[in-house]
Amino acid sequence: MDVVLEYRDPILRGAGVTILVALCSVILAVGFGLLGAWGKLSGSPIARRVCGSYTTLVRGVPDLVLMLLLFYGGQQVLNDLGAATGWWSYLEINQFVAGVCTIGFIFGAYMTETFRGAYLAIPRGQIEAGIACGMSRGKLFRRILWPQLARYALPSFGNNWLVLLKTTALVSVLGLNELVRESFVAGRSTRQLFTFFFVALIIYLILTAISDVGLRWLERRYSVGVRRS
Amino acid sequence: MAESAAGQAAEKTTLRVEDIHKSFGSLEVLKGLSLDAGDGDVIALIGSSGSGKSTFLRCINLLEIPDAGRVYLRGELIEMTKTKQGETRPADRKQVDRIRSRLGMVFQSFNLWSHMTILQNVMEGPVHVLARSKPEAKDQAMALLDKVGIADKAGAYPSHLSGGQQQRAAIARALAMDPDVMLFDEPTSALDPELVGEVLRVMRQLAEEGRTMIVVTHEMGFARDVASHVIFLHEGRVEEEGAPDAMFGNAQSPRFRQFLATTRN
Repeated sequence: MDVVLEYRDPILRGAGVTILVALCSVILAVGFGLLGAWGKLSGSPIARRVCGSYTTLVRGVPDLVLMLLLFYGGQQVLNDLGAATGWWSYLEINQFVAGVCTIGFIFGAYMTETFRGAYLAIPRGQIEAGIACGMSRGKLFRRILWPQLARYALPSFGNNWLVLLKTTALVSVLGLNELVRESFVAGRSTRQLFTFFFVALIIYLILTAISDVGLRWLERRYSVGVRRS
Repeated sequence: MAESAAGQAAEKTTLRVEDIHKSFGSLEVLKGLSLDAGDGDVIALIGSSGSGKSTFLRCINLLEIPDAGRVYLRGELIEMTKTKQGETRPADRKQVDRIRSRLGMVFQSFNLWSHMTILQNVMEGPVHVLARSKPEAKDQAMALLDKVGIADKAGAYPSHLSGGQQQRAAIARALAMDPDVMLFDEPTSALDPELVGEVLRVMRQLAEEGRTMIVVTHEMGFARDVASHVIFLHEGRVEEEGAPDAMFGNAQSPRFRQFLATTRN
């Protein structure tokens, strides 16, 4: 136990980074998801095709490969481009940014399906009622669509969030000092790998448990007016 | 009524709809329909299902975009334009929003917003479309709920109300915008028979107060007693129209006579 306390600070800092990566990624994912759902539902055939390819592609490749491709491959492409044009000398992609972008991009595809399904579950008539009383598009989205979209999307969003939170562990391979990497470092230097990975496990469990409580609160909040069944 | 007003300045009529055409794919459902409503007129649109009466009503506030035709509200024409693909579109979305806010719509399936209480449903338009203050909107909403007889349900959610109560709430919601014209799209068709009366009573009261109303309905009794003008549609055309007494007492067209015979049973 003493050995764990000794490494308390880096591990907690790592947990903080994990939370930060997860939160930033989920915001990005919701953005991609709303955009993707809008595209898939829109009348434009081009938007439909682009968003359709996006979800098909992302759901068909491993997260880790995409992350490595973006981080190492992306960096190489950027620097080749810089050398060719002479506009910049050497760029390094930040591990945090690369991780957040990849996870956001990947989970955006899952969120696309989440939001698309949720939108289709909103009774058409309630949207028409908003249009008929003269609401602008923005008002209609904020006042009528979003609250109901949130309600229908929440169960699936909750699943996505939990998987996303655990996926942040992959960012450790990019060398970002998040929970897994800090635990690994501590475990190796003390030769107590079991102990430290066990600690990491418990911390993930705590984070998901807190998420569960939060999600249940959100579901209650957004299900007002719905008969309990 | 339509003939005498034709050619005159449209300002005189509250709502003027001219020569509406609408097709779904290759099926032409509206083949040039027109309508004039003056202040306080109650126009009943009747006809068998598939005659285009609901589509016609939905073209008035552009829930369906007509392929051709013009809609004037108090003399103001809703500007339309054509896209490159030849589809008709409103030219100015803001104008359409503004005009829609002056056309209160009541739907067959009520369409109350399920995440809001009845009171919030009624306050929504005044507060968020007309930018009225909340206390003012609340007072008005409570008065309207009282008028339609469900003030005690103000804090309830729509799913806890009966169909008749929901439809009365929807009428209050439409009234809260103080619209120039009320559009009713088969307001009693989704109701259990014993709940139809309470909704019709409210509508009758509105007519007596001088509300301008366009009502798509299957309730022949309502059309006959309350309407000032009846339009019978058949396959997207006006088959017969006129004052209800003349229409129901002495039907001219064989199709309308046949329709009356079947609905009487």
